Order: sequence, then structure tokens, then C-alpha cells
Amino acid sequence: MTRKGILADSRRFRAAALAGMVALGAAVVWVQSVPPGELQANAGRAGRRPTGSAQLMSVQAIPGWADGEMCEWMPASAGSSFAALIPEPLEPQSQDVPGRRGPAPMPTSEEVAAVNARAPVRMIRDNFPSYSSIAVDMKNDELVMTDESTFSILTYDRRTNTPPTAAFSEPKREISGGDTWIEYQCGVYVDQASGDIYAVNNDTVDRLVVFSREARGNTPPDRIIHTPHTTYGIAVDEPHQELFLTVQEAGAVSVFRKMAVEDEPPIRLLQGDQTLLADPHGIAVDSTRDLLFVSNFGSVTEKDASIVSPQGNGYYAPSEKANWPLARNAAVPGSGKFLPPSITVYPRDAGGDVAPIRKIEGPKTQLNWPTALAVDPKRGEIFVANDTGDSVLVFDIMASGDAAPKRVIQGPKSMIKSPTGVFYDWEHDELWVANFGNHTATVYPATASGDAVPLRVVRSAPSNTGTPNIGNAYAPAYDSRRDQILVPN
Amino acid sequence: MLTRSTHGVAYDNVRDVFLVPNFYAQAIQIFAGDSDGEVAPIRIIQGPLTGLHNPDKLMLDVVNNEILIPQRDRVLVFDGNANGNVAPKRMLGPKRGLGALVVAPDPIHDLLVVAGAGGGFSGRFQIFDRTASGDVEPKWVIAGPKAQLQRFMGPIEVQPTRGLIVAGIRTNEELGGPDNFVGVWDLFARGDVPPIYRIGGPNVLLEQVRGITLNPKHKELIVTDKRINGVMTYYFPEIF
Repeated sequence: MTRKGILADSRRFRAAALAGMVALGAAVVWVQSVPPGELQANAGRAGRRPTGSAQLMSVQAIPGWADGEMCEWMPASAGSSFAALIPEPLEPQSQDVPGRRGPAPMPTSEEVAAVNARAPVRMIRDNFPSYSSIAVDMKNDELVMTDESTFSILTYDRRTNTPPTAAFSEPKREISGGDTWIEYQCGVYVDQASGDIYAVNNDTVDRLVVFSREARGNTPPDRIIHTPHTTYGIAVDEPHQELFLTVQEAGAVSVFRKMAVEDEPPIRLLQGDQTLLADPHGIAVDSTRDLLFVSNFGSVTEKDASIVSPQGNGYYAPSEKANWPLARNAAVPGSGKFLPPSITVYPRDAGGDVAPIRKIEGPKTQLNWPTALAVDPKRGEIFVANDTGDSVLVFDIMASGDAAPKRVIQGPKSMIKSPTGVFYDWEHDELWVANFGNHTATVYPATASGDAVPLRVVRSAPSNTGTPNIGNAYAPAYDSRRDQILVPN
Repeated sequence: MLTRSTHGVAYDNVRDVFLVPNFYAQAIQIFAGDSDGEVAPIRIIQGPLTGLHNPDKLMLDVVNNEILIPQRDRVLVFDGNANGNVAPKRMLGPKRGLGALVVAPDPIHDLLVVAGAGGGFSGRFQIFDRTASGDVEPKWVIAGPKAQLQRFMGPIEVQPTRGLIVAGIRTNEELGGPDNFVGVWDLFARGDVPPIYRIGGPNVLLEQVRGITLNPKHKELIVTDKRINGVMTYYFPEIF
């Protein structure tokens, strides 16, 4: 049967069904208006006799069935044809147009202008800052955080504790605006000596921006380092003046001179199958033990430099920079894998394709999107912002294998919700957590455990303000069954 | 198994599943439509036979039950029930210069719209037969200065009952600009033809359009914008 035939049959079926529904509606109305006892009498007068099988006796109109929005007519099975829902062409098909259904709009210029100027009827957007990473300037007693909702870097007094009745705490300083190159900053480092702020962009502008401590408003950065695409975490080893960045897409760690500028290439690259880096996020350096710690979400592909196209452009172009990681341009098709989340440990100066000296991985670890790391070298502990676990995990710095954390901070009193940043303040022996999921930063004694009440809470929004958790929403989809919008980030 | 930097999702209203491309693991994950919280996908397409190469976005043809993965010089087409390490059932390309960034199937007219770069971020719509495979020429092309197809980032849609292409157009500024908009083109137009409508811009609201989707039930257009960092819904009955 042709598509036209299917449509014709479907139209006849729909017309018949529609007529039947009308008749049924009318008959039900007739029944309900007939006093009891008269039904049988009426049936008799109508000439109906018992037949031993069902007979249409009456109908009632379904209230409001002809009004309101058009229902989606869902096919009964996957085999049903969506084509059955398509109406007849509104005009004869043109011989030049292959089977066109329905005319293209031909609006007037006024109609075009009206559409152009139309405002959205709804907008989903977080108008309050959402803290994505966190650091303390111990010399100046200040708390510095990046915000991925409204694109800013915010500095507060370290001792800020937002009163429950207050809408939010005002920052001492805010850096934001187009000139700052701040967009989706996901990592922050504060130089304890100078107060300089280093903020990492994830995957939109490929620039690490550096501001002096007193920077505020829409001010250009004092320094920019051009980074690989999809950098995430940042750590600095001050004794060696080295700056470490995790690179998600490449499955790599790029190491720059701490004072690198502009297009200066990295001084070292850690990348390769042996490294076990897999969608790396958090990073921390223990300068006393000369160790590098990286947290991995687990997705990975093989890379092969030989498949990089010399004619590529953008992300597919070869790079002439030394120590530049292989990225999507070198991903081997079909080589992707899902590995368990992990923390991999290397010598600080590891480079090339080297295996970690230790790996923390397994179900006992409770690792679940381990997004950020911090180290307490004195106690020998690693802190993990465990995003989708809504927890902070604390491991022994020498942990290996399927090791359970020494402590877990988690629970409603802790207020930990989608933590994406963590910082150990060694001056005050406190642990800070940036909670992307509830507009708060919370601080605890460094040895806190369980459902610990924070010592202080810094809020960027009124209490219990929901967050849409949107960060660079990309491709929406509409779920017609649930009348919901799916938004990946 | 999800990660940050997820750039695609598509919902199948017939089978009540949604699909997500995982760029870093080169996989397509299929979830039950009501999935909530930490739940495993019901299926995963992954492995060397798939040919998946950094799958960034995906589109669905729910009528023909197919999953379409644009991959620059090719478009991979998987059976909608595919699972595991399976090869695509069909591939448009490899074709030098195809530039497939996003695609939109039109199962009513049996067409496939391939939106992508014509080189130097000048975009174009190439319209193929829906089941085209190999290195074939498009049936026709919409491109040129009047078409205003500067650059695509996210999904486009075909509105098949009216024969329209709906697409978000972004410009090249890294931090967004005023000339972004969502446009509507006649699917059957050829050559350098302007959009019939532009909404959200230029110089209105949108700053860096990502993707769009349509809600025919409510006659709405849904748009994501990177610089606004939000999701906007427009009432747009004119295209339904």
C-alpha cells in the first residue's frame, strides 16, 4: 500500500471514529435526560427488542472534548506509523516540490517584525551565583570562589556566616563582565604570597585568567594562559613554580610554568594509556611528598597521533606546541570505554605515558563524580568533593586499591549538595566545600565526619532557593509524555 | 556513566526513552523515559564496530526508529534498537566537505537535512534523501549570504507538516554577540534564500545560541543559549 493509501485509510478510520464518538456522546446525553423507568418504555417505542447482545441505548457528550489543546495521538506500538497523524496537504502539490505537505508561511513584514521582537514566555535560568570552586587567601583572611551561573569570581570575608534571615551575603569584591573572559570557571587557585587569583575555564574559551587580589568589576585579567580545551582542575606546586591542569577530553595533565603567559607551551605533559587518566577532573599536589593526585570520572578513549589530519581545523587541527595533549583530533573511533571512577597518584614530575604509582578505585571507595581534590599533607589525608554522591570523602594519603574512606561528610545537616570544590585551610585547620547544588559554601573542622553541621555557611541566594543546575545547557529535548524539557549540561 | 560537557539529548516519544551521547567514552546511552537519580542506562552503543568518533550530538527519527550521529564527514545511522558493539545500519559519507554538525530527519517527505559548515564557519543546509548513503550529492542546498547560516552549534528541527527547517544561528564571537537568532527556512527552498522568520534576534535577546527543539503540543520553540546560560521558551504558533 502506498503512503497516500495509508493516509487515506487512516483518514477514513479517523472520520469514522469521530462520527462514532459524536453519536455516542449524543446518545449518552439522551440517556441522562430520561427519567428512570422510561428507558425501557422508550426502547420499546423505538422498536428495540432484546437481541441477546449489546445494543446502543444512549450516549452522553464528553465534557469539553472539543476544546483545549490538541492531544498527541500516541501510536499503540513502535510499529505504528507517525505518518497517520499528518493532515492532508492544504494545497495541491506542486510538480516542482517533491510531495510537500502544507504551505510554507508567507508572513507580512509586520508579522515578521512582530515575531522577531517576541519575548520568551518562560526562561529557566539561575539568577543567583552558584559556587563551583573555592580557595582561601589565608594571608588576607578572604574566601574566593568561582561562580558558573552568572559568570563571576566572588571574594568574601573568610569569617562570613550568612544569617538565616538574610537573603544572601554580599561579597567584598566581584569580578565579572565580558572584559574579564570569565565564563564557565570551574577551578580556582589563590597565590598565598601575592593574593593573585587563578581561574580555570572548562570548555568554552580555553583561557586561564589571572587577576590581582584587588581586581573588581569588569576588568581585563592581568595575565592569560591559553590552555588546551576542557581544562578542569588546577593545582600549583610553589616550590617548583609549576601549574597543573587536568584536561578532560585529552585524558591528560598539562603542566605549565606558574608564570606562563599567552601561548607559552606547557613544560610537561602526562598522557597515555598507561596513565589511567580517564576524564580527569580534580587535581592536587602534595609538595612535601612530591606527589600528584588526580580524580577521574572514568570515560576514556585511545589516542593515536598518526590519525591527526594535517588539514584539520579548530579542534581537529594538529598543534605545533610542545607538550600539547592529543585530544579529539586523535581519538581512535570506537575505542571508548567506561572505567570506574578513581584517584590516580603519580610522582609530581611525572610526564609522558607513565603508570600511576597507586590507584584508589572500587566500590568501597564510594567515588561518584569525584570532581575536586585537596590535600592535608600534615595529617596525610586527601579530601574529595564527591559531586553526585553529595558527600566529601576523606582518604588516607597512602590509600590504594578498593579502599574505604577514613571519613565521610554527608547528610542533610551538613548541607553538602553537589559539591564541586573543596579546599583545606591549613592555617585554621578547616575544610571548605563549594556546593553547586544549593548556592552555599560550607566550612567544617578538618576532622569532621558524618552528618556534621557546618561551622559557617556562606549563601549566595535566599535559603532553600532551588537551583536548575544549568551550566552551559546545550541541546534541549522535549518529552511530550511528561510535558518536560530535557537539558544536558 | 554520564559526564560533564554533555552536548546532546534526544527523546523518543514512541518508545519513551531518551538518548545521550557520551563524547569522552564514545558511546550512546539509552535511558528509560522516566529515569531519575542514579540509574543505569537500559542500553549502550559502544565499541569498535560502531565507528563512533567523539559523538557530540545525536538526533532521532522516531518514525523509522533510527539514531543519527553527525560526524563531520559522515552521518552514522543506527537502528533504534541497537545495543552494544554494533555497526551502523547505514552511513551517509564519508564525503569530503560534508561538514555534518547537526542533522534533522524529515520522515514525512523522506528527507535528511544536514546542517554544517561550508568552510570557514559559513554554514549551509544540504538536503538528502532520508536513506542516502555513501558519497552522494545532496538533492539541493540552501546557503549563501542571504540565508544567514553563519554557524550552527546545537540541534535543528524539521517541522514536517509545514515543510520548514528551524535552526539556531550563532556568530563567531567567543563570548557571544548580538547577532544570534533562531531562524525558520523553507525546507524546499534552494540556494541563497533568507529565513522566513527570525526570533530571539538579531539584537533582541539571544547571545550565543546552542540548540533548539519544538513542542508541537503547545506550539512552542525551546532554545538554549550559552551566554545567557539558560533555557528560553517562545510561543511560536506561526510555524505549526
